[in-house]
Amino acid sequence: MIFRELLQAIAVSLKTSGGAAAFASVMAVPLALFLSSREFRGKRLVLLINQTWMAAPTVVIGLLLYFLLSRNGPLGAFGMLYTQSAMAIGQVILILPLVLGFAYTALRQVDARARITALSLGASPRQAGWVVIKEAAFPLLVAVLAGFARAISEIGVAMMLGGNIRGYTRNITTAIALESSKGEFFNGVVLGAILLGLTLGVNLLVNVGVRSRD
Amino acid sequence: MSEIAYKLSQLRYRYPGSRFELEIDSMEIASARIIALVGPNGAGKTTLLMILGLLQKPGAGRIEFFGADPWKNNRVMESRREVVLVTHHPYLFRGTVFDNLKFGLKVRGAGENEWETRVREALAMVELSGFEKKSVSELSAGQAQRVALARAIILKPRVLLLDEPTANIDAGMSNRIEAMINNEVNSQAKTTIILSTHNFSQAFRLAGEVVYFSDGKRVPYSHENFFSGTAQSDGKISWIEPKPGVKIVFPGVRQGRVTVVVSPYKIRVFSKEQVDFSDSPNQFEGTVTRLELADGGQALVRLSGELNLRINLSMEEIDKKNIALSRQILVRFPPEAVEVIE
Repeated sequence: MIFRELLQAIAVSLKTSGGAAAFASVMAVPLALFLSSREFRGKRLVLLINQTWMAAPTVVIGLLLYFLLSRNGPLGAFGMLYTQSAMAIGQVILILPLVLGFAYTALRQVDARARITALSLGASPRQAGWVVIKEAAFPLLVAVLAGFARAISEIGVAMMLGGNIRGYTRNITTAIALESSKGEFFNGVVLGAILLGLTLGVNLLVNVGVRSRD
Repeated sequence: MSEIAYKLSQLRYRYPGSRFELEIDSMEIASARIIALVGPNGAGKTTLLMILGLLQKPGAGRIEFFGADPWKNNRVMESRREVVLVTHHPYLFRGTVFDNLKFGLKVRGAGENEWETRVREALAMVELSGFEKKSVSELSAGQAQRVALARAIILKPRVLLLDEPTANIDAGMSNRIEAMINNEVNSQAKTTIILSTHNFSQAFRLAGEVVYFSDGKRVPYSHENFFSGTAQSDGKISWIEPKPGVKIVFPGVRQGRVTVVVSPYKIRVFSKEQVDFSDSPNQFEGTVTRLELADGGQALVRLSGELNLRINLSMEEIDKKNIALSRQILVRFPPEAVEVIE
């Protein structure tokens, strides 16, 4: 595997998984805030479904989306199959329950007085919600990181929806699969180490950020 | 005649899944006054403060805030910006003292150029000048309480609600904070202050009106059932002996001279033959020396004996237990019915 291809695979991984983690967080955090601050009928069921969805195998999600996005599928007209967008969408669906579950736990742990205090000081419900999110900033960051780690390390969705096209949808995990199938185990191991290094780097950056805030 | 800050009628509130209910048939609070809410734990003081702070919608009944129902026509946000609640254990947001004090100004859209001056003034009022850059994690409980007070005062609200405002503050500072609340906040700024306190002397020192609560209801204030003594403790419970051999037991560990009050609504009455609770704490014998009809279908019983007590009972209970003048009865109250006030 040439160096240029390696860089392309890293870039695809960072772009699709980073985008998926960001998009999933934008959806999951407000939803978690809603769930954590309200009691309603069926809430337990929602949480149970979410927990179950967390364990969904990546290939199952890949397969479902493959049917949806394939040329004859209901969303085939968009021509998204074997694109980076399709990979990112699949990863969003894969990590959304994980980020939601972690974010819900993080927000539930914020002292109930934070919201009351903000409202009493004149904040609107939206501003008070933002206060709660800020109070849970670090555990929420962990939720986002967990989502990113799950997205960057999965292969089922990337393979089925991206198609492992060289220089376009080939990311680190699909490259590892390809190298291994060719018998290039050393390349596979190197790519695996790079993947771990990337995840470590992102975690370190966040930890440094957390320490400087504390 | 002064303006009415709050008018409550047939107000009810029950926490989901709880048997406790706050019931206020009628209550008016005039503006620019200091009102103290006193009563034992669980009497409903904090719930009422939450409702007055427009942070909790009443389950039933009506609340008027300066002449209008804040829960109608989407007025609650606007009205909420005229009242600030400082909770018993105040919550300070992550960050610095300055971050906390500027919060209310920021959400109200006050210009950034005002922040610094107003923060400095508010901190000076609670004797915390120079604390702007301190992280809230470095503050003691007393300092945190004063920061929370400053965070409320800085907003110059029409109504300031204080839940146990000096609970974590030492006596000397507490006196100075009281003076500040009385002079700068109430007398000069004409802010209506409603405070809840366990401290009866604080209530009478500060407030123009003292409202007594018990079991979620407003009850007539009584100077009776007060007992003083030197507290002793076995590490779990404490007691005083207002008379030799007469022991009043209450929860928690206390030492030194204390005054306690026994809620007249929490005293149970038994006929002498009925039961023997000789092992139970807070059981006393006495004679009914007065029996009169009080408000709300209640009867007021005075007992003379080991302890002189005022007891409020329902008329049904009077009939059921055949309580009459000169009868010997047994009374009993749980340690939790005893409130240490000083």
